[in-house]
Amino acid sequence: MINHTRIDRRTCLQGVGAALALPLLDAMGWEDTTDSQPPIRLGFMYMPHGVIMDQFWPADAESFLSSPPPALESLRPVLDQCLMVKGVSGVPIAPFNGAPHALELSTWLTATLPNPARRDQIDIAISADQIAANYIGAFTPLPSLELATMPQDWKENQEGLNEAYYSYCSFRSPTQPVPAETNPRNVLNRLFHTQKGAVRGSGPTKINTLDRSMLDVVLGGARDLRRKLPAADQRKLDEYLDSVRAVERRIAAIERRQQEAALEKAGVRTRHRRGTDTPPIEVKIPEGDKRSEYMQVMCDLIVLAFQTDSTRVCTYIGSRPNGASYPELGFSDQHHSVTHHNNEAEKVRKVAAITAFNIEQFAYMVNKMHQLPEGPGTLLDNCLLMWGSGLEDGNKHTRENLPFILAGRAGGRLRTGRYLPDVRANQGDLLTTLLTCAGIPVDRPVGIATKQITELLPEGSA
Amino acid sequence: MSDAAFDTDPVAIACRQRLLPGWAALSVLLGWALATGAAGHAQEPAAGLSARRAQAQDYFRKQVAPFIKSYCLECHQNRRPTEAGVNFSPALKDPGHAAFTELWKKAVARVAAHDMPPEDMEQPSEEQRDAFRQWLEHVKYLSPPDPGPFIIRRLTKREYGNTLRDLFGVPVAIAEDLPDEVSGEGYLNSVSPMQMEQFLEIANRVLDLVWPEQGAPPSEVQRRWLGDQPIAAIDSPEEVRAFAARAARQIYRRPASDDEIDVLMEVFALGKQNGLEDIAACRLMVKAMLVSPQFLFITPASVVASEQSVVPLDDYQLASRLSYFLWGTMPDDALMALADQGRLHEPATLAAQVTRMLQDPRRRAIFDGFGAQWLGVTDLPQRTFDAEQFPQMTAELRQSMYDEIRLVFDTVVGENRSLVELIDGDFTFLNADLAGIYGWEELAAGAQWQRVRVPDPNRGGVLGMPGVLAATSFPTRTSPVKRGVWVLERLLGEVVPSPPPDVPALENQDAQAVAHLTLRERTELHRTNPVCANCHRMLDPIGFGLENFDAIGRWRDADANGQPIDAAGELPDGTRFSGPRELKAAIASRREAFVRNFVRRLLAYALCRRLEGYDEVVVDDMMQEIAEDDYRMQTVIRAVVTSYPFTHRRIEEER
Repeated sequence: MINHTRIDRRTCLQGVGAALALPLLDAMGWEDTTDSQPPIRLGFMYMPHGVIMDQFWPADAESFLSSPPPALESLRPVLDQCLMVKGVSGVPIAPFNGAPHALELSTWLTATLPNPARRDQIDIAISADQIAANYIGAFTPLPSLELATMPQDWKENQEGLNEAYYSYCSFRSPTQPVPAETNPRNVLNRLFHTQKGAVRGSGPTKINTLDRSMLDVVLGGARDLRRKLPAADQRKLDEYLDSVRAVERRIAAIERRQQEAALEKAGVRTRHRRGTDTPPIEVKIPEGDKRSEYMQVMCDLIVLAFQTDSTRVCTYIGSRPNGASYPELGFSDQHHSVTHHNNEAEKVRKVAAITAFNIEQFAYMVNKMHQLPEGPGTLLDNCLLMWGSGLEDGNKHTRENLPFILAGRAGGRLRTGRYLPDVRANQGDLLTTLLTCAGIPVDRPVGIATKQITELLPEGSA
Repeated sequence: MSDAAFDTDPVAIACRQRLLPGWAALSVLLGWALATGAAGHAQEPAAGLSARRAQAQDYFRKQVAPFIKSYCLECHQNRRPTEAGVNFSPALKDPGHAAFTELWKKAVARVAAHDMPPEDMEQPSEEQRDAFRQWLEHVKYLSPPDPGPFIIRRLTKREYGNTLRDLFGVPVAIAEDLPDEVSGEGYLNSVSPMQMEQFLEIANRVLDLVWPEQGAPPSEVQRRWLGDQPIAAIDSPEEVRAFAARAARQIYRRPASDDEIDVLMEVFALGKQNGLEDIAACRLMVKAMLVSPQFLFITPASVVASEQSVVPLDDYQLASRLSYFLWGTMPDDALMALADQGRLHEPATLAAQVTRMLQDPRRRAIFDGFGAQWLGVTDLPQRTFDAEQFPQMTAELRQSMYDEIRLVFDTVVGENRSLVELIDGDFTFLNADLAGIYGWEELAAGAQWQRVRVPDPNRGGVLGMPGVLAATSFPTRTSPVKRGVWVLERLLGEVVPSPPPDVPALENQDAQAVAHLTLRERTELHRTNPVCANCHRMLDPIGFGLENFDAIGRWRDADANGQPIDAAGELPDGTRFSGPRELKAAIASRREAFVRNFVRRLLAYALCRRLEGYDEVVVDDMMQEIAEDDYRMQTVIRAVVTSYPFTHRRIEEER
């Protein structure tokens, strides 16, 4: 239903067009890897409300590559780079039975239910993307990047749950949701630290260094304040302190990149990267309000972020539960209301169209990564992307076989080009397995996980 | 109404008899009367509270515990897996614990709707159901007086933008890149690295706009904090300190402590070490203030002794809480002066300040932050409607619909009218576009807003406003179910049980047969299915009563297929209505429930948290005061501001 507010914001983006100056791109590559093996990047992309099952699940394992299901048509060129798994169940949502949609998104990467005793506050679990960010985020200027197509301000109370459960999927800690950026221009600014409205010639490096020292003093003052506050206030202030430290680290990382850039210019190689790797892709910020163009620019930004090693973890909420409609597809119905289709042909057709549309945008990103040489293969070879939904069937709110599409080989740690029709695992198992594939030492299972799904891995590696 | 303990309360009886003729049967189904009947308890002295408490304990022992044990515990007890995750074992041990408020409410709603116990289980009698329903009238007295926490709160995006506007004269839009968020109850009080980065960047942009370099003519901000002299070097550390104290007092919304000034002096020194001129080093100090927790959060001005568990807010914290509640921005000089004098917390002073603040146009923050959210129209200006059916539904018209509701709400606030006028008021605001939707082209011309007397008794009040009617519709058609839920939940504060987890689909309907039915006839199919019927009997007729209004709020006598609209209905208790006008009157006659729901929502918004436990007793008190002044809006707002939980906070560890 939301035709998103960004249409207004978009006007301020007009005329940006292509060819953005990307100041840090002289220094590209990876600093932490010892051989020239590129790092693994993790991406998550979300669509709410489930799928039309008989159009989503492949007929059988044998025909997966030759005749994929209709919903996956857009992925046909890269199907051998994809892995589909059926039989991954979602978190059972009791005692929140009346909140099927409020919990779609917030359980997706946590595989955990909110704490029922404190349901009006955020109290869930760190999400898989943030577990990854804690580990591999240290190597990049941004630990992780969170994007969304629509603002995260849906106001609807289900089962007394805090409203944020509706709109957030990334949690830095059990009590700290991570807001997503919805404006592509801001994402570019964040990635390359080009400040909006910055005064020309004011020497950003200098300002940054000074800002970092200033923040350090502010942190000291905040710690003084903390000592004088009661315990509950202290915990809130801890979140602030944590965020300020993250900004400090980020400024430091940018400074380091700038130094490296200077060295590279002087002919000193600081990073492992091959001459054959492609230059950064060009990102054009669209001027209209077509959803597909908007989502594709967000996908481009993820590609660019991975390509330039600005971050190794991206989460993109492609559409939010409730409130979305797709005028571009020729109908104005809300996504949510057509998913309660009761098998009415017209509504089923619309849900299928919305699903195919969302997968198309994912396919756009996968295809693009597949085109970009990197190291011995392509960027996609070094990625692990997961597309999925928080429900299986929106009509009945079922979560027995959550729809997932995995893409990318995770540096050879994921065996793609397959359909596994019956893995018998849960959402936590899947997330745990993916983190392990990305080389993240998982010290405890994600949410309800009880095992790794070894069928995903190459033979002999289990 | 079989509960003897409850019925001995003469005020409650009188109240029900006066206000609720004929609604009793309905209340049996949905816990309809839950919110009513409590007005009589309000001004009881504290001693009355302990009697109530004893009564509640007794009621629990005699009525509730046996009910739970007989009808619920077999499935819902401490064992795994617990049926639907609902477990009464801990609640039986400590029924008054605030954590169980939600559980009791849900349980009562399900039992009242005959949703529980399941059909194949032993069923309680109607009297037993009714007695269980009355439990919500008692359980609140088991909670000890508790104002709830007031954890340091980050300014919302809107508050942050308004505050920068008031401090520096910059446009509010300077904050537009911050993530959008929910305000009030459900507010997410957290700060992420991305937001922190944005705060830093926005501080830079603000200062680029308002902070000329050394030697340039001083800006208004610089004159305010540095004096009227052309900006030059600063002579002494004392002058820098004085500057820091002046700026911090405004930016932190309270006097800065010596320690806090020391920190700012450190920032100044840092700037000087890095070769900044004095004025640039002062700029760095202001930037430091703008990314400090004292600016970004509402923080206490004084240290509280750790042995206390409940403390009154200090006057500066109270000034901020009040100002952000009513104006969505920082306190003005008058509030700060009262805080300086230590007088703001005095009830008479506080009440007088509310009256003053509600005369100021900044009061529109109450609608933008609270009213729009309450009525579910916050996102109306951004919604999509079917362009073929409703080509006139442009962004401008949607905005006009929103603004009409805002103007009426704001008028009720500003003119201190009765809240009930939001239901049955006889005035509204029109421009030409909106007059076209109403079919009252002769009443308004051009884009200018005009206040008009409503010429049609079907209109007037939120139930007849196009914005509300559109917000409760689908993009292509009306939704009697959505409208019914809207009326019950948003206006009357009912707990509408959510649909069963496995909604039985109407799959077996003959699609062709259904195609010829009107929307009403199709919706009525709900009620042929016993699982749906209990609730939809309640929801749908209310929505049908509004069917004369199409999906964008125009009057119609026939639906899209040319079938005549049948807006007549009969409520489960037998009250008949023939259309919007009579439905509106029926809702307006439930003013006690309507106002109580409003008060609960406004209090939750003001406190930025959900109400629970003892809060219900607070609301009882407020209702008494409000009813005595004919439910006037300013009295409602004053009651919220002077209430115990608004003026106090619990500082011990969370329970």
